[in-house]
Amino acid sequence: MNIQLLAVVAALSTSLFSSAAQAQDIRPLLKAADAYRLASANMQVETQISVFNTDGTLDKERRYSVFAQANHQSLVLMQSAAEKGQKVLMLGDDFWLLLPGSQRPLRITPMQKLLGDASIGDIATLSWADDYSGSVRAEEACGEPKQACLRLGLTANRKSVTYQRMDLWIGKARHEPIKADLYVQSDKLAKVATFVMDKATAPTTVTEMLLRDQLTNKKETQVRYLARKDRTVPEAWLNPMFLARNPTLE
Amino acid sequence: MAAQSSLRTQRAALAALVAASVLGTPDVHAQVQWDGQVRAEINAPGTNTQGPLAQALRLQPGIAKPAAAGAALESELRANGHGLGLTATARTEKLEGDTVHTTGWINEAQASISVGSWSLSAGKKIVAWDVGYGFRPNDVVQQEARRTLMTVTATGRPLVMAEYFDADNAAALVWVNPTATRDATGAQEPALAARLYRRDGAVDWHLFARVGQRTGLSLGLASAWVASDKLELHASVRTLNRADTLALRSDGSLLSIANPWQPATVWRTQQAAFGGTWTNAAQFSLLLEAWWDGTAPTNAQWNAWNDRNRQLMALEKSPAPTQAIAGNLGWQTTAFNASTNLRQTNVFARASLTQEHWQPALDVLFTPEDGGRIITASVGWQGDRVRWEGGYRAYGGADNSIIAQLPNRRVGYLAATWAF
Repeated sequence: MNIQLLAVVAALSTSLFSSAAQAQDIRPLLKAADAYRLASANMQVETQISVFNTDGTLDKERRYSVFAQANHQSLVLMQSAAEKGQKVLMLGDDFWLLLPGSQRPLRITPMQKLLGDASIGDIATLSWADDYSGSVRAEEACGEPKQACLRLGLTANRKSVTYQRMDLWIGKARHEPIKADLYVQSDKLAKVATFVMDKATAPTTVTEMLLRDQLTNKKETQVRYLARKDRTVPEAWLNPMFLARNPTLE
Repeated sequence: MAAQSSLRTQRAALAALVAASVLGTPDVHAQVQWDGQVRAEINAPGTNTQGPLAQALRLQPGIAKPAAAGAALESELRANGHGLGLTATARTEKLEGDTVHTTGWINEAQASISVGSWSLSAGKKIVAWDVGYGFRPNDVVQQEARRTLMTVTATGRPLVMAEYFDADNAAALVWVNPTATRDATGAQEPALAARLYRRDGAVDWHLFARVGQRTGLSLGLASAWVASDKLELHASVRTLNRADTLALRSDGSLLSIANPWQPATVWRTQQAAFGGTWTNAAQFSLLLEAWWDGTAPTNAQWNAWNDRNRQLMALEKSPAPTQAIAGNLGWQTTAFNASTNLRQTNVFARASLTQEHWQPALDVLFTPEDGGRIITASVGWQGDRVRWEGGYRAYGGADNSIIAQLPNRRVGYLAATWAF
């Protein structure tokens, strides 16, 4: 009985050590892939979202300023006329929506931040290394033109992450992101993302992310990163009550 | 003496703000940001055929002006920068049977400066506190109207405010309506108000205090909690020393020569609200709330109101002057303004869906004490710059319920908003 118990403990230990080793192996790959979208831990990213109908016509266009900060903290400012003054604050697993004129922060659930064709999570989540763990599943050809890729199987570390599971293809040589299959909590394939790099031969940064909706309308959403710069925002900017004052944040 | 003291305090506050502006920094901004919106709207109310106003109009046509259908064009302009904020509105309105009226007002005009973790503001400003949707007991500064047909920008209160912020905490001390007289009522009363806020993971905690110059102390506590990835829960309670209301002051005779509904006081009472929002992945949301408002007229007061309506209508067959009966019936509608809520106990439910450009919603406010209800159905369409919204609100319920006796039985609306 004791021997059987020891065997189980040994097997579990081996499994745990093996998982830890895989997680440890994959983090540098994810950090390298992250660097193509987020060069440092604290950044300001100007983003434009264009949603296209299935016939290719433009359905809508939105502008966002994203302050992506360390420790899973993000502040998204809506800049388009239709949403001007709206803000979403994400502090780890906690989210607030601020509407212009209301001056009252509204606690929202992770489900409520899944707004629109490109959710706030698509715009504000720029760091896979912090949010996901997993393993290298395969080496296979991917992208256009075809190149050698690593397929990573990733699972979210936190329940509030928009996509709970992801298959991510990165270039084998430079680890740039190429494609991702994004799954929601029910394990349904929600979106397929493809990444457009600045230079095909020697990529340095992701300029666009194309999201094709797989759940409902099959529309395509283009997420364009217009400008990036290092930016650490004051502590108070990440306090929902400060944001409720409608300060000018630029 | 009190006025002189108030003036001295205002001067001291302004001097402090000027001194702080020398030591501190204006709320930062390289340039002024402008934006705004223009909204065209049409309203079509349907008057009630029951209730005291309907009876008054039947007896004496023209004694009061029933709500009329109309169209309006409203423009709102917002400017922010260099520590200054301004929101102004202009409205041109044409009601059926009336001429065109144009009016304008300032929603906000305020200056702010930052000194370290502190911010100081002065001017006319919207300061909206508390949690929840249908009723917010601790919205003690702005006292914003809730459940309006269309989203409207509130008109701020004159105030001087000091605020403190760090990563997880915030504190605010507000001197609201500093220039108002002591006998101003409701949201116009001069008062000191304070809020402490603390973020504790998935829970927001708020502690409130308000000292009205005339109504004295009230204390409140509120919390919002994200219980799961789909469910948010909130609650708010407030205890008041006294609150302004309206009560019937009769000299014993049924027919008064002046409006018998006069300002009165509710002593030592409470308000409480609780509820939650459930949202699924398809963006279907269900909001359920219930609240109790001790400042609203009691069952006994509304029963007496119904009895008085019946007695006044019975006078129709007596030799009493018709004009006096109609006037007294008309004055009965004053009671609708006694408090924010018509009844003390209220239940509210709202179902809504966000599906691409479309946002349909259906809500109902139910007053279980008398079986009254308000049902609202609406739909919104949001484009890049233009938003269309339309809806229909119906007032009804049991015949003796207060809601069923309001001047309007229904109202429909359609609006188009262009944002720039």
